[in-house]
Amino acid sequence: MRSNLLALLVFAALAAAPILIGGYWTGQLTTYLVYGLLAMSLSLVWGYGGILCFGQAMFFGIGGYIMAVLTKGMILPELTSSYLGLIAAMAGSALFALALGYFLFAGRGISGAYLAIITLAMALVLERLMNNWYALGGYNGLLNVPPIKLTFFGASFELWDRMPTFYAVLAVVALVYLLVSWLLNSTYGLKLTANRTHPDRLASLGYNVLIIRLSVFALSAAIAGLAGAIFVTLDGFASPTLIGFTLSTEALIWVAIGGKEMLLAAFLGAILTRTAESWLSEIFGDYWILILGIAFMISVVLLPKGLLATPLEKLTQGKGRKSR
Amino acid sequence: MLEIHNLSSGYGDAMVLRDFSCQIDTGKVTALMGRNGMGKTTLVKTIMGLIRAKSGRIMFDGTAIEKQPTHQISRNGMGYVPQGREIFADFTVTENLRLSLLGHEGGNVLTLQQIYDWFPILKERAEQRAGTFSGGQQQILAIARSLIGGPKMLLLDEPTEGIQPSIVHEIGVQLKRIAHETGLSILIVEQNVDMVRTLADEVLFMENGAIQERCDINAMRDDDSLLHRYLSV
Repeated sequence: MRSNLLALLVFAALAAAPILIGGYWTGQLTTYLVYGLLAMSLSLVWGYGGILCFGQAMFFGIGGYIMAVLTKGMILPELTSSYLGLIAAMAGSALFALALGYFLFAGRGISGAYLAIITLAMALVLERLMNNWYALGGYNGLLNVPPIKLTFFGASFELWDRMPTFYAVLAVVALVYLLVSWLLNSTYGLKLTANRTHPDRLASLGYNVLIIRLSVFALSAAIAGLAGAIFVTLDGFASPTLIGFTLSTEALIWVAIGGKEMLLAAFLGAILTRTAESWLSEIFGDYWILILGIAFMISVVLLPKGLLATPLEKLTQGKGRKSR
Repeated sequence: MLEIHNLSSGYGDAMVLRDFSCQIDTGKVTALMGRNGMGKTTLVKTIMGLIRAKSGRIMFDGTAIEKQPTHQISRNGMGYVPQGREIFADFTVTENLRLSLLGHEGGNVLTLQQIYDWFPILKERAEQRAGTFSGGQQQILAIARSLIGGPKMLLLDEPTEGIQPSIVHEIGVQLKRIAHETGLSILIVEQNVDMVRTLADEVLFMENGAIQERCDINAMRDDDSLLHRYLSV
């Protein structure tokens, strides 16, 4: 109950933010919301699913490229619908996750550090691939990705101006948050928690652990793919950096700082880290990375639940049982 | 109900069971007794698919299960209460039971109410976290969790380990009642003689990875020599 209230407050504050922060920062915040969506997807797979995916940006990038290729009409010039692009981006990322996940989890499966290393390696491979895939722009990426065009009942509207774009993105992010929270509170959340804590005990209760793992991996990938698809329409630009090592690691840091086991904390971790980066890098220049590194270490060593999740949990819990 | 033919199983190259054969009858409670290290747990884990059989055949209710994955064996109607109970400590009683229910969705599951009728303590503590329970209560939960999936056969691996005698007896009496009411077959691995006397219809004595002796529970009541020989009591 209290955590719902907290989420409501956070989203209300975000909705009110453009009034206070002006046009430039509203544009920035829109981008951060998309990063927040990526962070949520990582929190879902890592914090709830127990799968440390070190290459979460590959799904972000795949979503981004699919969106760009489709809406630019590079495959079928007649089919440039934004809706189709968004759906294809999510489906494409999810399918890729299913295929990759099958190799990772089938049989005895890979877990822990090995899983992290392999997903990281995959992200690097994809980044190299996109750098050299000239039909998809190669190193330069794809330019002039059109903005999202919303059409309902014949009327259409392009998300070009800052304000409408911000609110549309905020609505999507809030919707995803709601859906995922609902899912985690349902019996699916129970299965995920059981799978995370004692996967070995689930099989004798009739569960195919592979299916649970694949489902959460694919769902998380679909959300990351959605984030990537929205992202390329904001900048109008899809490049290999979206898919690779740097963004993957950054997302990991946001989620670790925020708190991987709390969707809202992970989301805020991304937004606050990016906001802090914008301010602090102006003041401290490159030394900003040092501050980020220290915050990350504090989070990992002293507050493993996350710098944000620890106080937020205190707020929402009061007394009673741990939230899941 | 369960027929095992020439089963060989173990850990890596070390075979614990060699050419093991036995048969467990439908609707009966069969106890498997033997000293530590004789292969009892290995047998149960191999039946459950948690350890892969090297060779041999396990027929359960007419189906060969030795190559099936564990979840499939469970869904075929094999309930398993592992040694050490292995309940989910962070989950409440209801959540533990619901998890098992969901795992057997579409199968011949029981209702929560049925379980609460058998084990009223679980109803009283439905919303309590299982980790706060005593060993005996956790054992009751572990058994209930297995029963709610509607198994045809229940495998119990040393259910009395570390549990106070009064609760051991209570569990024995209740399981016996359930087996008689529902026709459930039970294979119980046990070293606790009182539990076996309360619950079992038939006793198998195991030594060095093979069944050495098989006797009716009444025969064992009259004659302690088998217990002396195979358990050194």
